[in-house]
Amino acid sequence: MTQDRYNSSSIYNPFPMRVVAKREEAPGVRTLKLEFVNQEDHEFFTSNYRTGMFGLYGIFGEGESTFCVASPETRKDYIECTFRQSGRVTTTLAGVDPGDIVTFRGPYGNRFPIEKFEGKNLLFIAGGIALPPTRSVIWSCLDQRDKFRDVTIVYGARTVADLVYKHELDEWKRRDDVKLVLTVDPGGETPDWQDHVGFVPSVLEQVAPSPDNTIAVLCGPPIMIKFTLNALGKLGFSEADVYTTLENRMKCGVGKCGRCNVGSVYICKEGPVFTAAEVQAMPQHDL
Amino acid sequence: MTRILLHSRVDDCLSAWRSAGFRVLAPSKRNDLTRFDEVHAASDMALDLVLPERTIKDHFFPQTEPLLNYRIKKQAIESDEMLPPQQKRIFFGVRPCDASGLEIDDALFGWDYKDRYWFSRRENSVIITIACTRADDFCMCTSVQLSPDSTKGSDVMLHPLKDGRGWRVVTLTDRGKELAETIASMLQEDASETAPAASVPVKFDLDKVTSWLADPSNFESHLWKEVSQRCIGCGSCTFLCPTCHCFDIQDEGDTYSGIRRKNWDSCSFAMFTMHTSGHNPRNTQSTRWRQRIMHKFNYYQGKFGVNSCSGCGRCTRQCPVDMGITETLQEITNLPR
Repeated sequence: MTQDRYNSSSIYNPFPMRVVAKREEAPGVRTLKLEFVNQEDHEFFTSNYRTGMFGLYGIFGEGESTFCVASPETRKDYIECTFRQSGRVTTTLAGVDPGDIVTFRGPYGNRFPIEKFEGKNLLFIAGGIALPPTRSVIWSCLDQRDKFRDVTIVYGARTVADLVYKHELDEWKRRDDVKLVLTVDPGGETPDWQDHVGFVPSVLEQVAPSPDNTIAVLCGPPIMIKFTLNALGKLGFSEADVYTTLENRMKCGVGKCGRCNVGSVYICKEGPVFTAAEVQAMPQHDL
Repeated sequence: MTRILLHSRVDDCLSAWRSAGFRVLAPSKRNDLTRFDEVHAASDMALDLVLPERTIKDHFFPQTEPLLNYRIKKQAIESDEMLPPQQKRIFFGVRPCDASGLEIDDALFGWDYKDRYWFSRRENSVIITIACTRADDFCMCTSVQLSPDSTKGSDVMLHPLKDGRGWRVVTLTDRGKELAETIASMLQEDASETAPAASVPVKFDLDKVTSWLADPSNFESHLWKEVSQRCIGCGSCTFLCPTCHCFDIQDEGDTYSGIRRKNWDSCSFAMFTMHTSGHNPRNTQSTRWRQRIMHKFNYYQGKFGVNSCSGCGRCTRQCPVDMGITETLQEITNLPR
């Protein structure tokens, strides 16, 4: 399906997308909500997008940047992306307003196999700006809540201000079918902070979710992943039941430009979603 | 029956091909650089070279090429792909290593999503290869399971005659047969003996190399640092390689109109893999050199069943610090086992 479309037109020609909303998430971090300008692009996205896939978001004249699709597979009328303003493309994207047109290429890559998660407890663990990929899976599951058992979300950031999707954190906190555990790094708390203070791996050990019949989805910076995997190991989780998503610099997104591989594994094609066991099998010094 | 093409008839062939709508490119010398360029007469060709400095890859995957053009109007954008012109081309006097390189890269550009920029050029090109009767110290086709008269990637093979008058013509593909028909009157039946193919000594043991690379414990070997100490990260070896295909995508223009281009990039460069956060998975020249060797002799093999090296030796021949793939693979071959 994906190939058919791209064999009849350039694999590098993006979709135009209209910005319909823009949200400040944290200092330097913004979310854009994008809607399809062309009906055929929307249909293409709808039939191909599954949670975990990524895209290249761009502005002509500046270039493209790779981010996950932060919106869930249960809501395909739009695409949300969340990014930190950092380089040339993200600085330009940060400056767009509703009504402006940006571009999207994708959806690319593999996905979280959420049908395999049915009937299980779900443990989501995210650090900092890695909540967006996790949040795509979270809503994909919460939008069909009865298929899953207990849902626990452990989310940490450096400071209270750095927590993203604050309105959704409030919503999850209010729900009685979701257990939300929030934490900030020591020193990152505000005087009125009621939740945990501490790094994600140690807070996770305190909360001590049971590994029985549980799937963990873990996204964060490499150092957090490393220590959180240790913590999950201590709690008795098998690496085959822990899913994560990797990010590398990409240009093409379709397995040709030659840079995103970790060892022999191309993140754009075979990833970005892997089990922790799969990540451990990669050459660690190429990560 | 064998047919031969005499050197003296090449100009007639060029005329016939030009009238049939072909552009003919051959090794030529321009401003001290030897490369494939359009030729109008046999005297434009530099067929005596062991190899031109630049590969024919340049004409299939150019250093820079437009992918699409864009126009931005008030709250609307348009973009159209810019495929290369549908120009029929003949590459005359290609060496077997360069021709093989094209076929090696077909796998990459054709798997999964098809890169139409590469294939529109491939489909409009006929490759006429001349078997090598001379080689230099850097040639290493025989070390990568190819040979000075390998037919891989060629439509027509020309085998130099022993008496030096011309070549024996062997058509290999339908495209090659069709092309030979256009010059049928210029070929003649002749049983002259062909000159022996060049003798290219084997420089390393490919089996030993690939099995060493396949052993995960060697990923962290100190060898990578030792063999890459001299590397200055200039990227020359990747740009001169007939199979290196890595690229960058850049916009040229402004926020009203412009062109999005595909440009050569190189695994030798730190920026190639640099994350926005500053983290770089391949942050030293040795890890980047390891990537180059692993990609060519392990990853590519695993994905497409073929090594991404056709043995032309340019990476060593033209390296400003006298490094190259050959030396590294010799070091690996000579490791105690």
